[in-house]
Amino acid sequence: MRVVIAEDLALLREGLVALLRENDIEVVAQVDDAPGLLRAIAGHEPDLAIVDVRLPPTFSDEGLLAAIEARRRQPALGVLVLSQHVETAYASELIGEDTAGIGYLLKERIGDVRAFLDALRRVAAGGTVIDRQVVTELLAPRGGPSGALARLTTREREVLELMAEGRSNTAIAESMVVTPGAVEKHITNIFAKLELPACEDDHRRVLAVLAYLNVAH
Amino acid sequence: MSEQARPSAEIAQRPGAGVRRWMPTLAAGLSIGEYARSLVRRLALLTGILLGAIWALGAQGYFWPAWAWLGLVVPVLLDYTAGWAWRHPPGAVRRVACVWALVSVAAVILLLTWLLTWRLAGVESFWPAWALLGLATAGSAYSLIALHDRVLVAHGRRALRARVDMLTRTRREAVAAQAAELRRIERDLHDGAQARLVAVTLQLGRAELRACEQPELRELIRDAQREAQLAIAELRDLARGIVPPLLADRGLGAAVDSLAARYGLGTVVDVRTSGRLAPAVESAGYFVIAEALTNTAKHAGAKRSWVRLSDEHRALTVMVGDDGCGGADPDGSGIAGLRARVEALDGTLTVRSAARGGTVLEASIPCG
Repeated sequence: MRVVIAEDLALLREGLVALLRENDIEVVAQVDDAPGLLRAIAGHEPDLAIVDVRLPPTFSDEGLLAAIEARRRQPALGVLVLSQHVETAYASELIGEDTAGIGYLLKERIGDVRAFLDALRRVAAGGTVIDRQVVTELLAPRGGPSGALARLTTREREVLELMAEGRSNTAIAESMVVTPGAVEKHITNIFAKLELPACEDDHRRVLAVLAYLNVAH
Repeated sequence: MSEQARPSAEIAQRPGAGVRRWMPTLAAGLSIGEYARSLVRRLALLTGILLGAIWALGAQGYFWPAWAWLGLVVPVLLDYTAGWAWRHPPGAVRRVACVWALVSVAAVILLLTWLLTWRLAGVESFWPAWALLGLATAGSAYSLIALHDRVLVAHGRRALRARVDMLTRTRREAVAAQAAELRRIERDLHDGAQARLVAVTLQLGRAELRACEQPELRELIRDAQREAQLAIAELRDLARGIVPPLLADRGLGAAVDSLAARYGLGTVVDVRTSGRLAPAVESAGYFVIAEALTNTAKHAGAKRSWVRLSDEHRALTVMVGDDGCGGADPDGSGIAGLRARVEALDGTLTVRSAARGGTVLEASIPCG
């Protein structure tokens, strides 16, 4: 897997490069701004770009816009956007029409290196990874109840959040310390409550969840 | 006779018209006061001429009518100066003008008397000098005392206006500086402490991967990571409370769209603002809408709610309404806090909330 990293904080960028190299992932370029990202992608044709939402010079959302532009130029490119804030509007923009090869994670998820590396591989392979916090935000409108989402139990919400991250049933079971059978039961309940068509494939499950969340958004 | 048609000609034909033509009449449209003054002036003139003629026709010699003329000049002069003084605005200025009218009449009497004693009686010394000096001093002293307050008040008003202008300007600048400073703090948190903590969790994660043979060490590293992640989450909440990232990045329209969506009330958002506004104005508008939507979600039980934003006439107007149960307290603590925030920017905030009639909150904030 060939990766480009766009991150302006050197400490974090170098840490990421070291982490990826230790795990046999090739970092073909590391840049610290949005134009650099677009140049690196054109020059190296990587499988995946890891992009910080805020990049110089204005430190607002250049990273996000550059990631969207990179995807427009190379639709096969996997893009994992890292953000220090959960902003559902940014997640929605990034997801856009095509959810394949898209990831949106809070920066601190990097700390859980195994899950992070797993997320990288899934996005590079065309999967979708959405931070569970985005799902929580969308699931928990402030104030009054909001239809179907309000009917989910706490456990079911947890499962849904992990599903949005693109985890398999086994991974969800491990994370929640329950049996895979219990997870399956939760998933069946979620699909029933959200009136989503049940399906087996991991990626399609995420799509189903996102489709629902996009409607909700 | 074509002139017969004119009123003056008619008057002239009445009995005693000879006298009336020379004397002023009430019928000529004069008020009683003006009539009296005109009468006094003409009688004085007539008397003066008459006495002069008597002197000329008589023995002549000592020119005594001059003293009579002096006596006649005084009421006429008084009349003129009093008229002049009365044209001043009432109050201290008119009182001062009256005093100067009297002073000038007295001075004229003194000067004329001196002139006559010098010419007629051969008095050589300028005897009214001290009296004139006294009159001028008294008049000046009175003017100074009477107008002193007035000058002070005028000066005070000017100073007050300047101070209000200065306070308005500096308050606005202070609020703007505060908003800019808060955004800088938010950015510093984001790019500084938060980013470094993320780097720390990454390094800890790498360390954890290498410590797979030592379960105790792994547990220690995981504890450290959890703490670092809590710190990151706390910093994030802090930064969001200062200024939500979407507001800082994209401005009010995008931030309000996202905010409204998060409440899940099906709020209709109508944004008619062009470009970015001052940070202080954007933040105030945002937090007004956030508070209003929180209240709608918590208390209103509304079927419909809406948010309207516009920046016409150099002011940001924010309107948040619902069709819920109403009865919101316009002076409740939440709304009072918002009002203080809006008023610090010279804006206004009103709440209309009739029982069962829905609630509409409207804020208008000048854009500077």
